[in-house]
Amino acid sequence: MSHTELVVWSAVLIGLCFGATGQATGFCLMRGLANSWTLGDNRKLRSFVLAMAVALLGSQALAAAGLVSLQDSLYANPAPSWLAIPLGGALFGYGMTLANGCGARALVLLGSGNLRSFVVLTCLGLAAYMALSGVLATPRIWLEGMTTLALPAHDLPEAIGAPAWLVALILGSALLAWVFSSATFRTSPRDWLGGLIIGILIPAGWYATGVLGHDDFEPVRLASLTFIAPIGESLQYLMLSTGTRLGFGVSVVGGVFVGALAMALLRRDFTLRAFDGPRQMLRSMAGGTLMGIGGVMALGCSIGQGLSGMSTLALTAFAALAGIVVGARLGIVGPLALSKN
Amino acid sequence: MRSARPTHHDAARRRLLRSLVAAVAAIGLATPAMAEGPWQRLDAARNVLGDAEPATQGLVLDLPHVSEDGASVALSVGFDGELADDDYISRIDLFATANPSPEIATFHLTPLSGKPEIATRVRLNETQQVIAIATSHQGERFATAREVRITVSGCLMRNGSDQPEPLSNPRVSVPTRFSPGQPEAVRTLINHPMETGLREGADGEIVPRHIIERFTVSLNGETAFEAELHQSISASPYLLFYLSPEESGEAVFEWQDDSGNSARHEAAIETS
Repeated sequence: MSHTELVVWSAVLIGLCFGATGQATGFCLMRGLANSWTLGDNRKLRSFVLAMAVALLGSQALAAAGLVSLQDSLYANPAPSWLAIPLGGALFGYGMTLANGCGARALVLLGSGNLRSFVVLTCLGLAAYMALSGVLATPRIWLEGMTTLALPAHDLPEAIGAPAWLVALILGSALLAWVFSSATFRTSPRDWLGGLIIGILIPAGWYATGVLGHDDFEPVRLASLTFIAPIGESLQYLMLSTGTRLGFGVSVVGGVFVGALAMALLRRDFTLRAFDGPRQMLRSMAGGTLMGIGGVMALGCSIGQGLSGMSTLALTAFAALAGIVVGARLGIVGPLALSKN
Repeated sequence: MRSARPTHHDAARRRLLRSLVAAVAAIGLATPAMAEGPWQRLDAARNVLGDAEPATQGLVLDLPHVSEDGASVALSVGFDGELADDDYISRIDLFATANPSPEIATFHLTPLSGKPEIATRVRLNETQQVIAIATSHQGERFATAREVRITVSGCLMRNGSDQPEPLSNPRVSVPTRFSPGQPEAVRTLINHPMETGLREGADGEIVPRHIIERFTVSLNGETAFEAELHQSISASPYLLFYLSPEESGEAVFEWQDDSGNSARHEAAIETS
């Protein structure tokens, strides 16, 4: 098996785990934020933060062992746009509230029979590629070019002059301490198991692309889980597979869908759902579109920057995640919240 | 109910039908003359072809339909056509019709190459046709073209990360053992920015052209494979080609760039 085939199969496996876990546990940052801010129930939020902590510790362990160089990742961009990243994050966060979940959640919901997510995913994929290389690409590139900021460092450890493993250990421990400080969370295996498994999949992704995908002549691009460009790429792959090759991102997307579908059928949780009416459909379309555009501007989504990006301690990840949370707040309890109907 | 006698309308219909048939026939006869390949429209390609009309079957060019990274597009060219027994493909030329400079590379093959199949990574500035022309030892010519859609410009590199030392770290993957008459694939890679001379650096000045111009493989002192590279080869040039040595000995791989520097790698090979 060639190294590229090995990466594809690993990606499918990782996707299957993500999809199955997501379906069984309901892992979702949007739900976590919404429940925290409106119901005072922060179990799902702790679940996401647990995933973040596990991803951070696992990925930095790989880096400390010299197996992968996380500074080669997309997130460690030393000259990002100071406007596009947080603004994109906010657009993504708001879009997430309109669409009732991020791109990864939409894939899991689609696997459970929710046809509304098909609309979200299609709009997300379309919008993402419009912004990446389509009709919105030129204005995006112009905006990013006008607002480029040369950062003094790729990531947080470099910025404060501390060794990466130490920063990871301190930050990871602090996050874990907060996560497990709640008794209701500790006694909810659905939530901490979900966070744990999803968190482990991030370093698994780095390992698949950085170690299994290593080759002197045709190295695979270092990446871990992200769901903006890969969803657009998957739409493209379905249409152009005879002229393109399967990559890590598309294989993960396929795996997530199949994994969620399998788990939904196993748990007899598969129900076909559609829109109540045109307004709900418009909300989903708008949500998907905002997520696609925002995700491209922010270099990632709730999983891409929130988990994978943060696991590298890249400075862009902090800005993007902050933007996502602000955007989500605007949509859940803020001035732009739309009434549920 | 239609009348039995032909009417004025029927006659007009017959005339129209006849004209249509004539027009379609004219287009049909004219089509072979218009079915010339894109190599007829590119000066650089016509120079290689001369007056010869190349065969369009036999040469195979493999490229992705769509590439997001025009800076590094995987290309593979091979030959599965018919040649005379003592004939072999001696030269393959690659062109990018819409790049600032259309020549991508020229490969010179010998009987020691064994199999006329080469893979590399190229830079494509925009959506365009890539042309391959093969010339055999006895003068047979083959041509083919593939369209590639590019969504990001390739010739103007965008990264500012640390560039490795040019001509450093040559990597060669060559089998140590060959069976006679059985060509095996060899892969090579070497660090080099392959500066096109079109890119503006951080200081606003055009970064001067600096590329590897020639790559030579010799077996026991005899040239087995040679590549002339141009600026449309991607940075850190990757080349996959075949070798079929006749006797054991030494394979020498040499890269030369346009500033007079060179790098060299030697490997012992055994033919059993």
